[in-house]
Amino acid sequence: MSEEHNPEPGNRILEVRLGATKAEGGTRERVYTVGGAGTFPFLGAGPAAGHPPRIALEICDDTRTWSPIVLREVGDLAEDTGAWAAAAETTFGADMVRLSFTSTRQRGFDDFASLGTTVEEVIGATKYPLIVEGSTEPAIDSEVYRRIGEAAEGERVLLGTAEADRYRSVAASALAYGHAVVAQTPIDINLAKQLNILLHETALPPERIVIDPYTGTLGYGFEYSYSVMERIRSVALQGDADLARPMISSAIDSLNVKEVREADPETADEVAIRWEFYAAFSALIAGAEIVCVRHPGTVALLREALRALLEGSHPQEEAYGDESA
Amino acid sequence: MTSIDTVLASGRERLDEEMDALEGSVGYEETAYALPVTYAVTGMAVHDAASAREAYAASGSSVLVAGECLAAAGYAAEGGEGEPYTGFVPDTVLRRLGYSLVDGSIAGIGLVAGSPDDADAAAAICREMQEKYLLTFLAGGVIKTLTEAGVKVGLEYRLVPLGSTGMAAIHFADIIARVAMMFGGVQPGDTDRLLNYAAERAKAFVIAFPGLEDEEVAVIDGFRVLSIPILTPEGYEGGEWIRVPYLEAVREGMERRGIRVNVVAIPIPMACSPAFEGKSIRKEEMYVEFGGAKAAAFELLRVRPADEVEDGRVEVIGPEVGDLEEGSAVPLAILVDVAGASMKKDYEPVLERRIHTFLNYGEGSWHVAQRDLVWVRLTKDVVRRGVAIADLGRLLASKFRVEFPDLLDAVQVTLVTDRERVEAMLEEARAIYDERDERIAGMKDEDVGTYYSCTLCQTFAPNHVCIITPERPALCGAITWLDAKIAYEIAPAGANQPVEKGELIDPVLGQFEGVNRFVKKASHSAVDRVSLYGMMEEPMTCCGCFECIATILPEVNGIMIVNRDYLGDTPLGMTFSTLAGTIGGGAQTPGFVGISKGYILSDRFLQAENGIERVVWMPSLLRNELKGRLEEKLERMGIPELFDKIADETVAVSVEDLAEFLARVDHPALAMRPLI
Amino acid sequence: MAMKALDIYKLLPKTNCKKCGFPTCLAFAMKLASGKVDVDLCPDLDEQTRELLGGATRPPIRLVAIGAGERSFTVGEEFVLYRHERTFYHQPGLMMQVADTWPEERIEGVVARVRDETFHRVGEDLSVDGIAFRWESGDADRFGGVVGTVEACASVPEVIIADDPEAQAAALAHCGNFQPLIHAACADTAEAMCDLARKYGCALAVRAGDLEELKRLVGLCRDRGVENLMLDPAPATLRDFLARSVEIRRRAVERTDPDLGYPVVFDTVPLGLPDAATALGILKYAGVIIIDELGPASTMAALTLRQNIYTDPQKPIQVTPGLYPVNAPTGSAPVLMTVNFSLTYFTLLGYLEAAGIPCYLFIVDTEGMSVLTAVAGGKLTETLVADAIKTTELENRVDHRVLIIPGYAAPLSGKIEEETGWEVRVGPGDAAEIGEYLETGWEA
Ligand code: SF4
Ligand code: SF4
Repeated sequence: MSEEHNPEPGNRILEVRLGATKAEGGTRERVYTVGGAGTFPFLGAGPAAGHPPRIALEICDDTRTWSPIVLREVGDLAEDTGAWAAAAETTFGADMVRLSFTSTRQRGFDDFASLGTTVEEVIGATKYPLIVEGSTEPAIDSEVYRRIGEAAEGERVLLGTAEADRYRSVAASALAYGHAVVAQTPIDINLAKQLNILLHETALPPERIVIDPYTGTLGYGFEYSYSVMERIRSVALQGDADLARPMISSAIDSLNVKEVREADPETADEVAIRWEFYAAFSALIAGAEIVCVRHPGTVALLREALRALLEGSHPQEEAYGDESA
Repeated sequence: MTSIDTVLASGRERLDEEMDALEGSVGYEETAYALPVTYAVTGMAVHDAASAREAYAASGSSVLVAGECLAAAGYAAEGGEGEPYTGFVPDTVLRRLGYSLVDGSIAGIGLVAGSPDDADAAAAICREMQEKYLLTFLAGGVIKTLTEAGVKVGLEYRLVPLGSTGMAAIHFADIIARVAMMFGGVQPGDTDRLLNYAAERAKAFVIAFPGLEDEEVAVIDGFRVLSIPILTPEGYEGGEWIRVPYLEAVREGMERRGIRVNVVAIPIPMACSPAFEGKSIRKEEMYVEFGGAKAAAFELLRVRPADEVEDGRVEVIGPEVGDLEEGSAVPLAILVDVAGASMKKDYEPVLERRIHTFLNYGEGSWHVAQRDLVWVRLTKDVVRRGVAIADLGRLLASKFRVEFPDLLDAVQVTLVTDRERVEAMLEEARAIYDERDERIAGMKDEDVGTYYSCTLCQTFAPNHVCIITPERPALCGAITWLDAKIAYEIAPAGANQPVEKGELIDPVLGQFEGVNRFVKKASHSAVDRVSLYGMMEEPMTCCGCFECIATILPEVNGIMIVNRDYLGDTPLGMTFSTLAGTIGGGAQTPGFVGISKGYILSDRFLQAENGIERVVWMPSLLRNELKGRLEEKLERMGIPELFDKIADETVAVSVEDLAEFLARVDHPALAMRPLI
Repeated sequence: MAMKALDIYKLLPKTNCKKCGFPTCLAFAMKLASGKVDVDLCPDLDEQTRELLGGATRPPIRLVAIGAGERSFTVGEEFVLYRHERTFYHQPGLMMQVADTWPEERIEGVVARVRDETFHRVGEDLSVDGIAFRWESGDADRFGGVVGTVEACASVPEVIIADDPEAQAAALAHCGNFQPLIHAACADTAEAMCDLARKYGCALAVRAGDLEELKRLVGLCRDRGVENLMLDPAPATLRDFLARSVEIRRRAVERTDPDLGYPVVFDTVPLGLPDAATALGILKYAGVIIIDELGPASTMAALTLRQNIYTDPQKPIQVTPGLYPVNAPTGSAPVLMTVNFSLTYFTLLGYLEAAGIPCYLFIVDTEGMSVLTAVAGGKLTETLVADAIKTTELENRVDHRVLIIPGYAAPLSGKIEEETGWEVRVGPGDAAEIGEYLETGWEA
């Protein structure tokens, strides 16, 4: 069969820096570098191990479509995006917050000013690098990403999400305001590559791109995502520079599946956490450098697991989440 | 009429003098890029007269640097001009502009400078620029001319009044310089990259009107180093400035810088979407039909020189829908003329086939078949809503532009419903079809330097790579070399990539150095070498979509071919589907190869194994399908008797029976060099 | 290196005698090359060829059976490091542990769960595979007693975890005939353990943290006549397990180290982190995973992950074609047609359930192809739809004649209309938009 498991020495995943300190024009107290590995996940040591993966907790500005299980868990925080974001870092122990502007998904959305305000609020409330997700509707993309990008200027946030047929606004925002970009393609290695090439044509530097090969939910096509991540990592290590980028994984529909939705209230948290954990953990093993979850309880579980996987491969501070300025 | 050449010299001189006389501080506010042009060109952050002169010297006396220093000195001394002029555009505003440029909501930028004599002409130009999604900067008297004519200016109108003099034009350059540094990663002082960036990405042009001072002319002329064309509708001649009638200025500017507007809505009273593609129109629903059995009809897409194609022009020659009775059958010629710098004659048939798809996208229009067999219908419903024959033309014109933005610059459509004319043109069209067929049929692998790849099937066969050549169509039968080539032109980052064939390694096997290099990379190192014309040594990988499988039958020293539709047993002892299951998945399996039906007829068909003469068995289904063309080919080869020597399942399904049959008919394979 | 069919063919007798059960030597060679049959089926090979072909075509990892009876399972016979290279064939057995020091009720609780708990997903019943008995008491008789009690009430595959041959013997006296896995032999105990394994015909795990030592143990056991072996790389951390298991699999499938060509056992209990360890075992090549008492939520997630990872990537899971009511539809509810590609089905189902709109999902059989591929490949046709309407008796189930088809099936809309007589509406191409489509656009 193939020689995929023999990475050619010297090939590395590109490093992407997230967050900017005061000295770099931002306000983050921590910044992260993701990527850099020259081996399959958790097999390398020293420089070949690359930088440790990061755990992001997803929050949103409009909770109407968010999982009731998570909303119950976070209580009043859901009403105060800034406080929710702050709690993600301090109480829940996430490496970063991924703020999703779910408000933009409603039909006829036009409250663009609120986006900037919310971004500023979350920036003010947090100290670590951020991921921000804008709209998914081409008609408003331009306005949305400009507002978000502008409000976060200088913070080097990770902006999502660029797709093959609507990447211009995200890329423009990243270029104009100094951010990085999530490039999502539907579980296909060649499409992932094509999008990277398209982004390259906008002059967005490769070290500002994180690939999202799209993560299906556990039990609902997760295996496709798992394998595509393995494949991307594998060809990257063989020298395919267009794919040698860090990956981000978020099984966003985890909490909407039947098993979780219909769990009885007593065990709902347990089920939700496990459903997220098994997918996110597997994504880490397949090569994801950033994994995103929504239930705070999942963060702690992932943290422990990550610690056991990284043992001895990274300097203490970096491995456990501190690359302070 | 002012001669540029004369004015330039005196303009330069005056700039020199003014630079010498420069005093005091020099600079803008609200920017991190000092004097942006100067900074980008020299890497020097100028703040006062002395450093300005130093930078001017360092730039090799660039007129742009001089113009900028002088403008910035004025700023430092007196501030900007104030309302309604914007003067120097601060970084924050610029960032938004740059955003819109990358984002595509602004298609490009233009500068209109000077003082036009004709207010209407200036207003028309600005209106056209607004309509074309361009952001227009204004410098000089033109601003007054426009406002007096009632045209509203301001950023919100995409007409930015930079300043009352032509010298304000320099801000157009500082904008481009900053965009290059902010968005293009151009480092201050890296002139080469700046110029490169401008050449590749600056979607900008200048329209100059008369009334400019000599030094202003010099500065504007300096824009040319940034690959910005200077067009002039009146007042100037000579130099490198381009004279254009004012009505054509905008189009000319856009064309020269490759600025394109994305057409979104198609201005026709019928919906147009892939969702309608499969709708058929029954006779009862139909208002009028064209072609079919009842009237002559054809379609023809041709590439034309740019000056013969007026983009968006649609003409109907003959009766329109209103002149036609309900239920009538009418002749029709659909003539699509296209122009585009990279459009080639070879692409015509492939684009022509899209007429079918596009017309079916229309709600209420329906199209089947191609060339001189077409048949088109319109429903009563849409005709009642006002759809005319011309709308089909509009639909085609805009769809072609939208779908092939990089290939086509202009599309014009003529629809002829006049019987005599259609019939007269039909002959001509048929001659063109024949000519095309001959060309494609005659295309040889050695005539081209580039083959194409396809990696679509890697979704399930991770290391599979198809190499498509003129004489070896893709194994799935769906993609010819020409298809792949055009797919690449349209989507350069797509699944079809050009493969430089490179040095010939083995002419019989069809091994090429470039192909091997490509395959190795695209297969993620799983496959090192591929023979394009053979199946025994390093054959092409099989993904699973092959129309047929060719395998060796060692017992009879021959090759059998089995196609997907044949469900029965084969002399090898495996059915198509078991065979497919064993060799698919993207592996190379010597002795077995997936092929298209078309390839069987090719002169390159498994030539390393003696080609068609080696074939001993194929299912009757396939044999009958290929019969005419295969017999013709064998005739040409001087072995017409071979066709009857190829067995099918009616003669033998076991290798023993096959051997007997082959011996009886004395099949040439028996006497060939052994396959193994 | 694995051999290609043609190379194999060259070594076969080429008589087409059909004794192997295949009509031609070449057909047999093809099967051999894909590792799907054993070379021994051809009786006419000399010893040397047989060995050569066996070494090159036999699965690089030995097939090992655990347990007897209905729930017994096999592991091993894997060929690749990554599922996308081909597929993973034999999913790992999850063995939930009980310790002989536990109170009776606790043991009973676990046993009952292993015996009775199943989760139903995608037409499959998922459950934990068996029980692992851990010797903690230091008392061989007590151990035997516990095994005996459980044996009396549950017939599931078992692992006997005791490094002391005497304790093993005590346990095996009760369950040895049901082929449990003996876990585990080390250098000191290999001999005695081998004797037990031979006596009962059980599989035996060898345990060492160092791969060279593992190989040595394998050699030792094989010399003593035990062929059904498994490897426990004795990891102290998740990181250890990952590194060792990957290395074992790599060397095995590359056929560079035949002594490592055995399935791996992963005892997760000493590591803590039950969820992470179980997931890691599933992902990274464990054949048997000994797990702690995972809660139902964890168990369901773990079993689901296992089902996902062990799906054949080249043959997507298919949903049974038919008519599926969603959100309790009535006769006037919309009918949404789609294909039986599991991912399409589940994605669509998810959005429909979330939207809460009563409707029928009408699944036609495209052999697991997605809409796009099925349309392109001619699998999805108007006759297929018409036939499916008949077999599902759709006409009796709803009181309208409107069919909503996927956006990508639009090219077929006219043909379906003609063939079925139903009015066809083209729905969205993206499942995420179905809720909005039904809310705004649908009226029968
Ligand atoms: S079989 Fe067809 S679709 Fe598949 S890779 Fe080859 S050319 Fe592309
Ligand atoms: S038994 Fe051996 S010799 Fe006979 S057909 Fe099979 S492979 Fe050939």
